[in-house]
Amino acid sequence: MATVVPTAIVQGAGDGHQLTKALQSWRKRLWLQQVLRWAENGVITGLIVACLLLLVSRFTPWGAVSYWASGVAIAALLGALGAALWYRPSFARSARLVDTRLSLHDRLSTAWELRNNSAPISVLQRGDALKQLSKHRPSAAVSLRPGRMRLISIGIVAVALALLFLLPNPMNTVLQQQAAFQASLARQIAAIKQERTAIDGQSSISAQERAMIDKILSQALARLQQAKNGTQAQQALAQAQAQLDQLRDPQASNKAQARAAASSSLQDSSNTNLSAAGKALATGDSQGLGTALQKLASQVNNMTPAQRAQLAQQIEQSASQALGNPQLNAALHQLARAVADNNPGEISDAVKALEAAAAQDSANQNTNNSINQASQTLQNVANALASSTDNSTSQNTSQSQTSAQGQNPGQGQASSGQAQNPGQGQSNIPSQSNNGSGAQNNTGNKSGKNEQVDIPGQLGTGTSTADGNGGNGQVQPGTAVPYSQVIADYEQMAHEAIDNSNIPPDLKNLIQGYFNSLEGQK
Amino acid sequence: MAKKGEGTSAQTGVEPEVQLENLGEQNEIDAAISDTGAVGEGPGEADVEEFMNIAQQLENELCSIVVGQERVIRELLLALLAGGHVLLEGVPGLGKTLLVRTLSDALTLKFARIQFTPDLMPADIVGTTIVTEQSDDNAAGSRRIFSFQPGPIFANVVLADEVNRATPKTQSALLEGMQEHTVSVGDATRPLPRPFFVLATQNPLEMEGTYPLPEAQLDRFLFKVLVRFPNAKDLIRIIDTTVGTQALRAKQVASGEQLLQLIETARAVPVATHVKEHAVRLLLATHPDQEDAPEQVHKYVRYGASPRGLQALILTGKVRALLEGRYNVALEDLQAVAFPALRHRIILNFDGLADGITPEDLIETIIEET
Repeated sequence: MATVVPTAIVQGAGDGHQLTKALQSWRKRLWLQQVLRWAENGVITGLIVACLLLLVSRFTPWGAVSYWASGVAIAALLGALGAALWYRPSFARSARLVDTRLSLHDRLSTAWELRNNSAPISVLQRGDALKQLSKHRPSAAVSLRPGRMRLISIGIVAVALALLFLLPNPMNTVLQQQAAFQASLARQIAAIKQERTAIDGQSSISAQERAMIDKILSQALARLQQAKNGTQAQQALAQAQAQLDQLRDPQASNKAQARAAASSSLQDSSNTNLSAAGKALATGDSQGLGTALQKLASQVNNMTPAQRAQLAQQIEQSASQALGNPQLNAALHQLARAVADNNPGEISDAVKALEAAAAQDSANQNTNNSINQASQTLQNVANALASSTDNSTSQNTSQSQTSAQGQNPGQGQASSGQAQNPGQGQSNIPSQSNNGSGAQNNTGNKSGKNEQVDIPGQLGTGTSTADGNGGNGQVQPGTAVPYSQVIADYEQMAHEAIDNSNIPPDLKNLIQGYFNSLEGQK
Repeated sequence: MAKKGEGTSAQTGVEPEVQLENLGEQNEIDAAISDTGAVGEGPGEADVEEFMNIAQQLENELCSIVVGQERVIRELLLALLAGGHVLLEGVPGLGKTLLVRTLSDALTLKFARIQFTPDLMPADIVGTTIVTEQSDDNAAGSRRIFSFQPGPIFANVVLADEVNRATPKTQSALLEGMQEHTVSVGDATRPLPRPFFVLATQNPLEMEGTYPLPEAQLDRFLFKVLVRFPNAKDLIRIIDTTVGTQALRAKQVASGEQLLQLIETARAVPVATHVKEHAVRLLLATHPDQEDAPEQVHKYVRYGASPRGLQALILTGKVRALLEGRYNVALEDLQAVAFPALRHRIILNFDGLADGITPEDLIETIIEET
């Protein structure tokens, strides 16, 4: 309990200048220590946040997580450094800190606050504070070494971060699938754009129909670019195909068959001009058709009534073959009557009507061909996307795959159309559409695991026809949906239904087992 | 014991007329002392060194005679050098009276002891007016006049022994003297000698027939010091120093004038703003209606400390700083003086009394949480 006699007063401590000078070095040291401490805190915080981000990326596909993790770590470090540099400790705060660290009992903070006070006891107090301060050195009292606990914390977090970086991330396979899908999608979008350009360049169809097809394709492109997964892409393609089907003339097939039958009947005629007209009609040669009909009109004037009657009968037979094409049928009827009547004016009118019907048929045929071409392109795109999805899935599950190549002989009703079925490795089950008038009998070979299997229309409406000659038929794009997609949808719906219903657990397992067994067949 | 003619005339208890004249002189002294606190003036290094020397000698003297009560002596010194009154609480026989008498001996101050009893009257403390005969040379006879007979309160150190045994009316006789350093009797107000200290004692055990001091009276005491029972080692020292043939007596260390100078020196110690703010926070934390107060304060306190408590914290903190060899008040000074400065200013509620909570518990909590 002895009273302490104060130390000798430092001479020359009468003003606050010396105090400021003495505190300056402490302030710098404290600032430096603050920068280092806050930087350590920033490093620890950044590493922890980076670890959390990497941890999240193991449960959610996140391709750019490494960039984010690096960015967050660097941002935390820079933020801490910036804050430490910005919030430089003031002299008053430095005095308080030094008081605390050196146990100076508020000597410095009091001296700093009263640095301009000229009272004798204030001068004494400043001198005492300076005297006490002079016993210590900033380099010894304010350590810049990081604490052991901080180092241990940094080490632990760094090891955790390294493990998260180095250990394989199960979400990488999902990311690869997504990347593959996006790449495939980009390729298919390019193909659709190319097809769009090709259709824009076709002069055989009207500008209005070109614009409509172009609009459908552009909408399909927009949807595809926004598609997040294969299902959305397939839906976009199916929707575009359905719209294209609506553009198609539903009677086009009948008309084509009728025209083919009529032209065949005309070709069978003994009259060379009529036979030439039939050939021209069959091939869509409007100029040849006009020439042949003009020759026929000239020839009629020189014929006997019996010859004209025979000729009219042949034309009438052809007209009867063209019942499915009313315009052609009417024109042939008109020509048959004009020939029978030997009326030059009527013959001329009938020739013109026949030429007009043929031209209309030809235009319709061209339009249909363009629609078919666009629809086929979309179908190819859909198949390619489905194939890429399946391939990426099978690759990621490390299943050995056999390259399946099947041929679709495309046995269908014979028509004048010619087409190749480009689908390799696919076996399309016959598809019947709501509005379709055709029937398709495709007998494909299902071999291999990765065969693309389509099932009857699930998406959209449209015709599905197959025209072919001798096994080389064109499969008209219908509403086929990949089996893998459908079974996935069914599986999801079933799982949701099971989860949302009051089915006993054992039955739930039974149903889930069933769909799991189906999944293996995908 | 003050000698006649030393110090101020008020110390000696002279006639009322003279007292009133001396009151004007006292005010001039006070004004002169107050002027020293202006910026650029005030106590210098010599004053501070004198303070520390005298304080150290005083403490040594007290410790040499009053054994085993170092903490009590230190707290008594803090209050004395801050110019405040002290309430000593302890069981009989612990040396409270010895301590006060030794203090007055060491300071050559006039000492008066008032034993408070239930039949003690205010006039027994402050004095009364009596009729006296005065010789008249001109009239060749004597005449009777009224003169004031000062009571024991007209001393520098007044020991109010067992202050809680007197009635509240008598206890209140001390109020004016403690606060204003004056005594009003009849139509005259008389100043008390300076320095003036009231050191009151009370026994916490025998509460039967006592009149506990009201809050207003308690608040006048700068400190409430608890006198604890000494330990075995100190008891041995008590035997060695008190039952032998050697009679110990304190040396004179300082006069009343010097003591007043020491008080002014202590008042000049600077206090930083953050220390003042800490003192305010400590004080406000004793009030249950403050949101920042600890939970225990909300639960157990009826009334918190008054602003006099804040003054006590700062004043005694200044003294403690000088005694510790510093020229500034530190946070630890406030925490050290918080117990004697606040314990009698915290009024517990029924829950606190029922749960056996003491003000010391609350002050400890307040210091920890503030």
